[in-house]
Amino acid sequence: MFLASLAALASEVAESDPTDINPVVPDEIGEIFWGAIAFFGLWILMRYVLLPPLLKIRADRRNQEIADQQAASAADEQAEQVRRDYEATVAEANSEANDIIAEARAAAEHERGEIVVAAESEIALERQAALAELESQRSSAVSGLGDDVADLAVAAASKVMDASLDEPVHRSTAANYVEDAR
Amino acid sequence: MLAALSNPVILLASEEGGGGVEFPPINLIVKWPALFGEDTFYGFNKIALISMIAMIVPTILFVIAGRNASLVPRGLQNVMEVSIDFIEKQVVMPAIGKDGMRYLPMLMAMFFFIWIGNLFEIIPTSHMPANARMANPIMLALVAWVMFIGVGVKHHGLKYFKDALFPPGVPKALYLLVTPIEFLSTFLIRPFSLAVRLFANMLAGHILLVTFSVLTITLFGAGILAIAGVLSFGMLVAFTAFEFMVAFLQAFIFSLLTAVYIGGALHPAH
Repeated sequence: MFLASLAALASEVAESDPTDINPVVPDEIGEIFWGAIAFFGLWILMRYVLLPPLLKIRADRRNQEIADQQAASAADEQAEQVRRDYEATVAEANSEANDIIAEARAAAEHERGEIVVAAESEIALERQAALAELESQRSSAVSGLGDDVADLAVAAASKVMDASLDEPVHRSTAANYVEDAR
Repeated sequence: MLAALSNPVILLASEEGGGGVEFPPINLIVKWPALFGEDTFYGFNKIALISMIAMIVPTILFVIAGRNASLVPRGLQNVMEVSIDFIEKQVVMPAIGKDGMRYLPMLMAMFFFIWIGNLFEIIPTSHMPANARMANPIMLALVAWVMFIGVGVKHHGLKYFKDALFPPGVPKALYLLVTPIEFLSTFLIRPFSLAVRLFANMLAGHILLVTFSVLTITLFGAGILAIAGVLSFGMLVAFTAFEFMVAFLQAFIFSLLTAVYIGGALHPAH
């Protein structure tokens, strides 16, 4: 089929003028005419109809990108500000907590001191009272002991001498002796 | 009509001469009869049709992409935005800088017009790049030429010509040599080289594909040599892929050089 059409074409061509042309020389003015119409038509269409919608949408997209980037930057800045505020709040709370702890510690220290002083004072008073009591007991014990020693000494001396002694006199002697021994 | 829209690859195996390949003359593989308006300034042939398609296709793509454009691009909108980014970042910014954004529509139009025109080299049933004819390349080169001179004059007045022809810092005696060279290279050769680079690359690719097509068809009909035809067919496929890359590359180079020339006119100090 193809070869048949080629053969028909070949016979058609064989009848035409086989004179070679100079291909560098534009010999068909119609080709330039229609080519110019087509090219300038396309140029004008590109300039006023074809490119503007796509260039506009491209510009819109770039503007949108810039706006989005700015919004993202603003959001970043805002997040950074929130973070800084949070850190400041935390720092402030820490500082306040430290102050409270220090105050509490100082108050506790002060109270402890007062308690210690009061306790020491009370201890001193109690010690003093105990010492006084002890002295009193010792004094009474010693005084009791002098009588007992005098009685024992008079009784012992009576046994030794096998005679009745003048009890009040000897008792007084023994008591004086004990008194001197204290 | 068929002759106008089909690829006129001809295979003329000359049985009397013992068989062989006869490659078509150049006018038969690049010159197309008019669909209407023959021999008038509006003669509409296959190249004109491809040029119109090269205008219509990007128009449709951009209209669909921009119709319900959303902030999060999807599908075709994504593709077309990538194409804008590509021209902006690979052509406008390196060659002109931020001032060059006003030339983005022209460079986008230039890129798509050339690229789609080139792609018809490898589109089945067409197999003819619009830029393998000199009409579109020379028209686009003239646009680039007018643009960079216009930009230079607009921003620097007549001083643009003085700076271009008498570059500062060059010893005065050397102007005898430098000025004619600058005049030729900047104002005459630039547009010509732009046009010829695009045209010659596409024409060479077109001839290459025609050559391998003719060779493949011939070898497949040549008995035992059909084995070599497989190799020729493989080369045809490989060169088709290569032309797909060239189509893009030439569009990119033309747009980039135009931007470089405009950038040079806008900032002559650089």
